[in-house]
Amino acid sequence: MHKTLKSAVVVFVGSLVAASCATNAPQDTWQPKGPNAKLIDDLQQPVFAVAGIIGLIVAAAVTYTVIKYRDRGQPIPEQTHGKPALEITLTVIPALILAVVAVFTFGAIFKLAKTDDTEMIINVTGQQWWWEYDYPVQNEFGITSPIISSGQLVMPVGTKVLLRETSRDVIHSYWIPALNGKRDAVPGRVQTLRLEADEPGIYAGQCTEFCGLSHANMRMEAVALSKEDFAKWVANQQAPYVVPAKDSLAQQGETVFLNQCVRCHQVNGLMRADGTPAIAAPDENVWSGAAPNLSHLMSRNTFAGAAFDLLSKKCRDEVWGAPSNVVGAKYLAGVTEDCLNQKDLRAWLRNAPEMKPMYANPADLEISNGKYRGMPYLALSEDDINKLVAYLLTLK
Amino acid sequence: MFSTGFKYFFGVTVLSVVALVMSVALFKNLALIGVAITFLIAAGALLTGLAIITSDGTTRDANVQTSDMTTQSLWPLVTGIGTVFLALGLVTSSIVFFGGVVVLLAALSEWMIQAWSERASSDASHNAEARKRLLNPIEFPVLAALGLGVVIFAFSRIMLTVDKSTGAVLFIVVGTLVLVAGTLFAIKPNMKRSVGAAICALGAIGIIAGGVASAVSGEREELALAAEEGHFTHKECGPEESEYFDKLKEETLSLRSAVSATIIYQDGELIAKIQGLNKPQKSITVPRSNATNIIFRNATEGEFRLVVDLGKPKTEDKDSDHDVDCTQLIETGGEQSLTLKIPKSSSADNHYKLFIAGAEDKQIIVVVP
Repeated sequence: MHKTLKSAVVVFVGSLVAASCATNAPQDTWQPKGPNAKLIDDLQQPVFAVAGIIGLIVAAAVTYTVIKYRDRGQPIPEQTHGKPALEITLTVIPALILAVVAVFTFGAIFKLAKTDDTEMIINVTGQQWWWEYDYPVQNEFGITSPIISSGQLVMPVGTKVLLRETSRDVIHSYWIPALNGKRDAVPGRVQTLRLEADEPGIYAGQCTEFCGLSHANMRMEAVALSKEDFAKWVANQQAPYVVPAKDSLAQQGETVFLNQCVRCHQVNGLMRADGTPAIAAPDENVWSGAAPNLSHLMSRNTFAGAAFDLLSKKCRDEVWGAPSNVVGAKYLAGVTEDCLNQKDLRAWLRNAPEMKPMYANPADLEISNGKYRGMPYLALSEDDINKLVAYLLTLK
Repeated sequence: MFSTGFKYFFGVTVLSVVALVMSVALFKNLALIGVAITFLIAAGALLTGLAIITSDGTTRDANVQTSDMTTQSLWPLVTGIGTVFLALGLVTSSIVFFGGVVVLLAALSEWMIQAWSERASSDASHNAEARKRLLNPIEFPVLAALGLGVVIFAFSRIMLTVDKSTGAVLFIVVGTLVLVAGTLFAIKPNMKRSVGAAICALGAIGIIAGGVASAVSGEREELALAAEEGHFTHKECGPEESEYFDKLKEETLSLRSAVSATIIYQDGELIAKIQGLNKPQKSITVPRSNATNIIFRNATEGEFRLVVDLGKPKTEDKDSDHDVDCTQLIETGGEQSLTLKIPKSSSADNHYKLFIAGAEDKQIIVVVP
């Protein structure tokens, strides 16, 4: 029995050590890349060390007691009650440790909650299972008309950005580990979270409040660009809609988009044949009332709630692996036809619910008043998919 | 070789595996049930292992001949009642059905533990102690929670029936009585248990009786009227002032902590203040299809109303009127919230707007991206 126990302990400890050896861990909380995350890191390193030591002592004491005093048929020892000196000592020591931790923790919490030094605000709205970002007018950053995007949060480096978070359906939680801690996005409330990046780069994140079937696929990426690159990104996002070339495959794709996709997805500037603006109506079809705005889709690197890459693996690796002085240029290049992840995009258009678990089966819609949660199966023909891909590639 | 603890946890583990297999067979979506039962299996297996390693859970005198004497038990009767509720629930309502399930499970658990404990050893007092050690940690919190729930529910009925000022007095009186009783128990630790129990029982019975009487007589008039007419949410965007306006609701923490923008009418100008932006704004951004709170503050002499123009309900209907919503007339220095939920994006030639009634040129553009 002892041999089995020892083997189990060795396997358990070995698994823990092996699990901590990941080299590619973009959501590693121990690698802060901005002042807010560093503040948390400076707090958690000593607290973790103290808690770890205490945890080991307690675990060792419990293990020793369980093994040493296990039932071997011996009589029950004398039962005693009350050792005031020991009890007071064991109460005071943890209380003192917690008091010291509390002083530093409260200091960090108040610093992280500051909003009066904000330089830029971005509204962040969560819904099953993607994040929407909208940038209100802020002339000092060249944002003269609102910008709307999804999947990737683009921000300038060295700028105190305040996210104003809310949710359209259930509670979500926004977390970019390299830039700050978590903040819940709650329906009917506006919660704030500070983000600031020290240097250009792409930082991965993940919804951290269980929010339904595809919670695990509700990802996000924060793209920090130099101020010059950010100005270019802003200019591109505010550029007017470009009508596809006449008689091109993309123009046919625009027609398919108007017939199929505009029921939920908005593309700013897209006009119907009668000259009226094509205004999406996701509120009539989607439970949360929103679907990603696809204006300038190919300036992003991800789609479907950042669950899939718009870039092929080779091109994605080039952007993610680029040094900080060139990552901005690589990112701003957007998605070209050569770099497009055709496989996943086509599979998504072919049958989205097969790619990402969603409540999109017409037979199961009674719980959401007949509205979809996620993108449904549209029964598009391969011909329509070809046209749509050609059209989406024009949304630079 | 196998201790009672081992048998118990082994049984829990086996039953959990059976439950998982049945869940896989019966349910399409196992997302939560599967995770819960898998954790139960893991916990059961771990405790089974610990029980066999430490030989824990063996009752004293386990090898001594057990007593055949059994005590009287209520649990067969309660099990029968639970079964009846379960059957009734199948043809009446799901609440009765689930009530029956809960009663049935509780009675069967109690019955099972009692049956086991009575045969644990030849010592009846030890058997009773074994039963208490196992069940009291569950029974006491559950019964306490149920009892408190009934008392709190009864008290809430009373507070909904009496008028506001009487309610405040009643709250103070009841709170004081609880404090006095608590103090009495603290300074008289040797008080007879029957006296303490009698005081608690009298208090509980008084509140429950008051609750039943209140529930029978119904809620106070203004609440009944509010429920009937919904006048706390009623808004009139014409020149008249509404009679009802729940100012206290405007002070709630939930509303104050969820304000997206504050719209201020000051010195004849309408401006927006947005958290994080230092300068006053002439436009606000509102996420589409999402309830967004704004607050209107009147800092100008006179009474003014903020109106929001929500455009035409259907853009293709060129003849339809614009939808509007508004605050009430707000006196100087006063505030009122307004919740915007706009399902359609605005476009360059179709922006939504906030304006002051009677002074339509004082505007804030509402952008819905």
